[in-house]
Amino acid sequence: MKKNNMMYPTLLERIKTEWIIYALAFVFILIADSIGQIKIPVWKGTFIIFPIFYALFLGILSGPNTLKIIDDKRVKAASKLVGVAILPFIAKLGINAGANIEKVISAGPALLLQEFGNLGTIVLAMPLALLLGLKRESIGAAHSINRETNLALIQDMYGADSPEGQGSLSVYITGGMVGTIYFGFMASMVAATGLFHPYALGMASGVGAGIMMSSAVAALSEVMPEFASEISAMASASETISGIDGIYMAIFIGLPLCNWLYNKLEPTLGRVTKAGREAAERIGK
Amino acid sequence: MRVIDWIFTLAITGLGMMTANFIGFDIAFAESLPGVLVLLALALGGAGLAHIIPLKLPTVAYCSILGLLVACPLSPVSEFVISAANKINFTAPLTMVGAFAGMSISNQLRSFVKQGWKMVLITVFVMTGTFVFSLLIAQFMLQLTNVI
Repeated sequence: MKKNNMMYPTLLERIKTEWIIYALAFVFILIADSIGQIKIPVWKGTFIIFPIFYALFLGILSGPNTLKIIDDKRVKAASKLVGVAILPFIAKLGINAGANIEKVISAGPALLLQEFGNLGTIVLAMPLALLLGLKRESIGAAHSINRETNLALIQDMYGADSPEGQGSLSVYITGGMVGTIYFGFMASMVAATGLFHPYALGMASGVGAGIMMSSAVAALSEVMPEFASEISAMASASETISGIDGIYMAIFIGLPLCNWLYNKLEPTLGRVTKAGREAAERIGK
Repeated sequence: MRVIDWIFTLAITGLGMMTANFIGFDIAFAESLPGVLVLLALALGGAGLAHIIPLKLPTVAYCSILGLLVACPLSPVSEFVISAANKINFTAPLTMVGAFAGMSISNQLRSFVKQGWKMVLITVFVMTGTFVFSLLIAQFMLQLTNVI
């Protein structure tokens, strides 16, 4: 945060640089919220496209890789704005949790234990990554949901140029591009099985990534409107706990588990496919 | 960021929220205003706490805990806070977040395309794994503790 203080000498300087970002954001809001939600029935569930997805998409298009309306300096400025702009939304969910405090407290044991479910990514994604030919990249890729804090942690522990750092960065980038829309869609599909209680679905949405959580909660609230308030209350509680414990979960459980699993599985699963064998040869093991 | 930067950014965010609430849900600016002010005050308060309290907790944690406290039954202003916040449609604050988030990753588009389908598949597994395992534990524990 120290560096940010130095970025602009005055607020006016900042506005001179960033005004185009604000202007674009308002244009995107006008477009996105005029289109509104689009619902596409899929199997027993619904694929809901929310205004946030159009805004996200338009934002990506305006950048240096495509339309070049904003340059790298402004891209950086925008990433600081995300962290501030999401706070009122997080506060709104906190209000929902407060309004439903008795239900949240009664669900306390479930809320605490389901945090360990965030390690489920390791069990599911690590074997796949090995089959696809990733080596130590798989540790960074599979250790967590790989949002900003996780990426920073991996880069700090292994270095940004390390294979682990590269794996984490790859999932971070992909998650940013397609994760938000996928997370909401997946949540509504899982809800459509009818096997799970809305409280549990709400809790599972809180994974320590505000924008993913918002996508899941928005989708779940659409498909189970009678539980909308409880879903966001549980999501808020779970998200808050994840925000606090996420990094420790990764340091003390996630990464050791990843390394252990990697050593177990790489010599077998990591050599089953051609991609795996070639990668092993390339790094000379 | 300085306090003035925080206030300025939050004011922009508030305007964005009111615009989305008006365009998407026909709620007039004046009707949104109390809710927006409550949410902005909580956001600013959370940021302030994160700055003052020496614990290394993320700002979002302070914001949601503050929100919980002002809305819980013990709070003298809970009724006002809840009804004001309810005027803000759930997805209204999110459009601007999406716009900024999209711009903030717009320089990664090329690497994303270069990475190809394998990383997409792995990311899908990462997200599904996190969600589904949390869900299974939550469902099991809720049943075990007779909450549902």
